[in-house]
Amino acid sequence: MVRGDTTGPIVQVRRRVRAGAEQIFDLWTKPDLMVRWMSPYPGAVDCKASCDLRPGGAFSLVMSSEESSREVSGTYVQVDRPRKLVFTWIGPLTNNVNTLVTVELNPRGDETDLVLTHERLPTPAICEGHTRGWGNMLDHLADAVSKDV
Amino acid sequence: MIEIESRKEAASRTARLDAVFAALADPTRRAIIERLSRSEARVTEVAEPFHMSLNAVSKHIRVLEASGVVERHRKGRDHILSINTGSLDEVDGWIDRMRRYWEERLDAMERLLRELKKDHKLGPKDRKRGSR
Repeated sequence: MVRGDTTGPIVQVRRRVRAGAEQIFDLWTKPDLMVRWMSPYPGAVDCKASCDLRPGGAFSLVMSSEESSREVSGTYVQVDRPRKLVFTWIGPLTNNVNTLVTVELNPRGDETDLVLTHERLPTPAICEGHTRGWGNMLDHLADAVSKDV
Repeated sequence: MIEIESRKEAASRTARLDAVFAALADPTRRAIIERLSRSEARVTEVAEPFHMSLNAVSKHIRVLEASGVVERHRKGRDHILSINTGSLDEVDGWIDRMRRYWEERLDAMERLLRELKKDHKLGPKDRKRGSR
């Protein structure tokens, strides 16, 4: 799966969804809808979401069961309703390292093509030294923001 | 004790994975991996196709070695580079886990969409589960 191709290792999932882009965008960004599908823990009895939907704004999703509570959180990088949503994402599943998720919604008649891209961001402590690591990450975020504008 | 040990292990695995992802974030380094995935090679052979100094390529090779993706051994006077496929398997593992996670979440999202559609369509007389 890892090849010397033009992009680094990323996770990409594509799906044709039988709904309009606006409705799907709402599922990703409205707390009362987020809690109804985003929690990966079936045992979670209580799920709370909050979000400040603007670039630089934060979101969080807290899932609690009787024994424990887990949180997934992040910061919005690009908010372009209903076509594109880019946010950082950190939680137990990412081993608490920062990652970047891009959700693109392309209308196809009554349906919508959803393309989700998930990638790891370089952390500051990596081998090339601090400046380079953060430089790459910031370039990346800048790209994400300036693309398709 | 055991818990602390496994946390330590998890932390070092995360650090290792970070280093591998960082190593793979650069196109020159990915090209070097591509070259070495065909066969092991001397440093000079690896450097040959790149339009940069041997010194610059060596820097990239050192990053790949530090991340554990590339290993170096000596054969007589030559330094031979080869790929440590185990480190790339870890990356594949991470990608697989994340893909599975998102596939499941998107399944849940589509189930919710169907639920919302049904709620919307049901008139008062055939609404079975009561109105909300």
